[in-house]
Amino acid sequence: MNVPIKTNTALSENRRLSDQMYITLLVASVAIGLFLIASVFVPNFFQLQNMLNLVTNNWAVISLGVGVTFLLVSGNFDLSVGGIVALSGVLSVWFAQSIGSSNALSSGLGLPYWVALLGALAGAIAIGGLNALFVVKFRIPSIIVTLGTMMVARGIAQVITQGSQRNTNLPDEFGVLGSLKVFGTSMQLPVVFMGLLLLAAIFIERKMVFGRITYWVGANPVAARLSGIDNAKHITYLYLFSAAIAGVVGILLSSEYQSGYSNRGLLMEFDALVIALLGGIAIAGGFGSVIGMFFGAIILAVVTSAATGLTLSPDWQYILKALAVFLAIVAQTWALARRNK
Amino acid sequence: MTTQQQPPVLSIEGIIKDYPGVRAVNDVSFSVESSTVHCLIGENGAGKSTLIKMITGALLPSQGNMKINGAPYAPTSTQNARENGVATLFQELHVVDELSVLENLTLGMEQSRFGFLIKSDLEERVIQTLASIEPSINPAARVSSLSVAQKQIIEIARAASSGASVIIMDEPTASLSEREVERLFTVIRKLRSQGVTVIYISHKLDEIIALGDTVTVLRDGKHIVTKPLSEVSGRPELIDMMIGRCVFESYTPRNNLSEEVILSAKGLSNNMLKNVSFEIKKGEIVGFYGLVGAGKTEIARALFGADEVAGSIVFKGEKVGGSPKEAIAAGIALVPEERRTQGLFTNLTIRENIPVMNLRRMSNNGIFRADAELSAATHYIDQLRIATSSIEKHTEKLSGGNQQKVVLAKCLFSKASLLLLDEPTRGVDVGAKTEIYDIIRNLADEGNSVAVFSSELEEVLGICDRIFLLYTGSLESEIINGPDVDINDILNIVTGGNRGVTA
Amino acid sequence: MSKLTRFEVASTTLGGQVSQFLRNYYIYFVLIAIVVFLSLTNLDRYELFERGNFLYERNIINILRVSAPILVLAGAFTLLMVSGYIDLSVGSTMGLSAVIYAMLAINGVPFLAAFAITTLCGVLLGTFNGLLVVRFKITPVIATLITLSLFKGIALLLVMDGVSAIKSMGDLKMPSWFNAYGREGVLLGLPMAFWVAVIVTITLVVLQNRSLLGKYAAATGGNPTAAKLSGINTSKVVFVLYAIVGACAALAGIARSSFMSLGDPLSGDGMELTAILVVLIGGTAFSGGEGRVLRSFVGALIIMTITLGMLTLVPAYYQTLVLGAVLLGAAASNHWISRKDHAS
Repeated sequence: MNVPIKTNTALSENRRLSDQMYITLLVASVAIGLFLIASVFVPNFFQLQNMLNLVTNNWAVISLGVGVTFLLVSGNFDLSVGGIVALSGVLSVWFAQSIGSSNALSSGLGLPYWVALLGALAGAIAIGGLNALFVVKFRIPSIIVTLGTMMVARGIAQVITQGSQRNTNLPDEFGVLGSLKVFGTSMQLPVVFMGLLLLAAIFIERKMVFGRITYWVGANPVAARLSGIDNAKHITYLYLFSAAIAGVVGILLSSEYQSGYSNRGLLMEFDALVIALLGGIAIAGGFGSVIGMFFGAIILAVVTSAATGLTLSPDWQYILKALAVFLAIVAQTWALARRNK
Repeated sequence: MTTQQQPPVLSIEGIIKDYPGVRAVNDVSFSVESSTVHCLIGENGAGKSTLIKMITGALLPSQGNMKINGAPYAPTSTQNARENGVATLFQELHVVDELSVLENLTLGMEQSRFGFLIKSDLEERVIQTLASIEPSINPAARVSSLSVAQKQIIEIARAASSGASVIIMDEPTASLSEREVERLFTVIRKLRSQGVTVIYISHKLDEIIALGDTVTVLRDGKHIVTKPLSEVSGRPELIDMMIGRCVFESYTPRNNLSEEVILSAKGLSNNMLKNVSFEIKKGEIVGFYGLVGAGKTEIARALFGADEVAGSIVFKGEKVGGSPKEAIAAGIALVPEERRTQGLFTNLTIRENIPVMNLRRMSNNGIFRADAELSAATHYIDQLRIATSSIEKHTEKLSGGNQQKVVLAKCLFSKASLLLLDEPTRGVDVGAKTEIYDIIRNLADEGNSVAVFSSELEEVLGICDRIFLLYTGSLESEIINGPDVDINDILNIVTGGNRGVTA
Repeated sequence: MSKLTRFEVASTTLGGQVSQFLRNYYIYFVLIAIVVFLSLTNLDRYELFERGNFLYERNIINILRVSAPILVLAGAFTLLMVSGYIDLSVGSTMGLSAVIYAMLAINGVPFLAAFAITTLCGVLLGTFNGLLVVRFKITPVIATLITLSLFKGIALLLVMDGVSAIKSMGDLKMPSWFNAYGREGVLLGLPMAFWVAVIVTITLVVLQNRSLLGKYAAATGGNPTAAKLSGINTSKVVFVLYAIVGACAALAGIARSSFMSLGDPLSGDGMELTAILVVLIGGTAFSGGEGRVLRSFVGALIIMTITLGMLTLVPAYYQTLVLGAVLLGAAASNHWISRKDHAS
């Protein structure tokens, strides 16, 4: 049988907005709406610089959110990303520090800078491999596994830094990546990294077979397997990618601060999960999008920075996060139920 | 049996159940006498399950009444039915593995004071009930350490000790060994002697004859007869009543049958299958016919590589059976038994469901070919006449027949040369059924092979060129379809009549 | 008719009995092994321990005092996991309770009243979790992540003005009983906080073995459909269990704030991890149905002994790594045991 390339116009014209787009639009309009409301009440909120800051200040969490989103769509948690950020940052510093200082924390492996970076990335990916091993091979719930690997990753970072940080004896070029201004603008390399990552992720999600497989695996793992998809392989890739992204984030952060700090990225896994949930990603799997996650991050950023602008104590951010996630989940459930009645 | 004038324990009066386009149960009336084993038989699609669902409160009848011991009975839930003394033994077990036997028996009936369990005669009573029907089970044992048959008996004992006057058993022997079946029968007879009524549903006619007091036959949703089994002359009479003068979809012998073997399976064995060997030829439609638990699904899954199996499967000269991925790459596709849980991505749209089994075709160096997806979806919606307002409709919102067509479209799109269809028309309305049969014939005419795994005789007789008959995991017989096929013989074989059991 | 044969009872084989025995008692051997191991090590380097033998009375007392919070929480957490649910907010509930308790104490509320009010607050916080899970039908992991953030925020706001925790300052002085509860020995040299943990655990053991709640928790986690079909109100069971976990988390908060002599909103951070670690070590199944209160109590002792005992061998910064590895190991071995179970 040959499938002729023809479109049944009646059916195509009737294409209505998918639930996916509906929720993404909903999240986006909430983000914009909240921004406008905040602009009315918070002094100096409605400024170009502030709008940019909402995004650029959160480059790390948004980047992590990409990997976390893909995994959630496939029906799996990744809580290890915060730990990996610390690990890869610490590793990059330790590998690059020159040898032979009397102080243990000042003495590293003295590897060439680029080798240090590759080594740090490899360390991060190894944690991703551990995630995949336990989730795919041993079939242990991903939330338990990634809690464990989060502790292992951060634990290794703590051992290397003796519970503190390493910031001496670094080569001159170490700080370049994290603070490099690109194209003679004030745009820093990490932000560019986030931008490119987002574009790549949206492309993979929307346009590539890999992205589509992620949805199939998350929507119905049994049907996916019976349709010839290698779920195990796919989930393994997703964990490796997520860990690699976290690895790069860790390297960039350690370069920006010129230090490897074992508590860096603390609770970042939590924030990445929060923005994904705000962005309408269903933890049951098979539903959600990177764009949604991005707008989820904007919602969180607007809410927390508006709170700061209103001179609320920073402690409010915890309550605001809780309220935002609660309202997002309830509203999305309600909106979908109403729409599909 | 004594003929006291007490009211029947359960009476069904003019029950009707309508589904869109189908009347699944059509004006059924009969009554069940107390302390009997009342068997319910009928072909698949005869309306047994629907009727049972109404008796157990899982479905509400469209019309008609039921009475228990003369009092009106209209259960709204399984829970509600239990409270009225009607307990059901489902095919899936409802015991808590982590608790002990005794704890399971008293679950939900405990005597307590201030929330703490207190000693009561309840425990004595349930232990006695259990001992009276199956003394070998230790009440202190953990249920997880018991066999399936023992767990079933725990459920029966729980139903009996909760004061159920009617216990419904739906194919209770499907996963039991012969010895265990014997034990279960003893239990059922004991229950009967204790005044419990058992409504027993089974395809295995020997069981019916060995166990039943009364039999009710359903056919095409209608009540055919209710009569004592003592007045039934034997298997042939039961079979006659089940099929009646039912008009089968006429089979027209197809003439382009080739002798080229496309798949050969040798000695397939696993926990269900017993040394099954067969061949499938190019361009033919083969049927695998058998009852629940006969091993149809297991064969289909084994061929597709979804389950591990001993033996060899060679397809077009290559060994297959390692994984579904491998099977699809070789050109085998499966329409699984449970379309909602195994076949469809219910929260995705029709468009998104169709391309999954042929990713090579959808991929342009890794880029997803959205145009190909769109044209494939529209093409199959046209070709299979999938009734939908939009290509973007979520598949969970389609009717059963249209859902099945989407699964079929998935498989067709994989360009497989051997299609395995496991219960392709289960839960599908008559119109869609005929359409699906047409699709199957067209496929075969184009030179593809199709294997239909079905528990509906009408289906395999209607479309298959060759039919394999299965009984409890082994391939019993092979018949060539044609006008002179002996239906009674087929039914005799698949109900175990070939096994030297007394009929 | 053929002869009736008896059913084979699955676990009469020797192998079956051995694995059954190991499953029931392995945890005690693990504890003993760790204690023996530590007794053989040299403790001289570390301040926390008395010189000489690990089994020295003061060392034991020290460990048990520090362990009081997790010991009081482990049992309730187990029951909730048995019912197939989880509470990730226990750390924040602890922190919030610590703050409330310290505020009450510093403002002159007597011990018993402060104790009762704080515990009641814990019940309310737990009920709130139950509400999100049962009424709003939010997945337990997400619902309790929400409250993790919420309770932590409230606790931090309660101690706003420039300090990080509630403690004696200026005119406001912590009453003397505040510290005593968690530190001063009342019986066998062990403080009240420890004995409360023991009482709570005994109560929960009795609840698990003798009450409807204990049985229904196992039924809810083991086979929810069967539980519902048997007429069990599983929502109510889950609700009550969340409330109990809340109460026990509050008791843990009281114990820790008393031990540290301050109401620190962050004092419970990471407690959810410790609790998960402890119940997994105790053999609780993550999927529900399976788990014993007493084994988790012993699991808590093991984790605390490892955590503190480790200080004799390696620097403190090895802790996270070791506990993470133990968590993965426990999860893997639980999985391995339960798979063998299903295979047989």
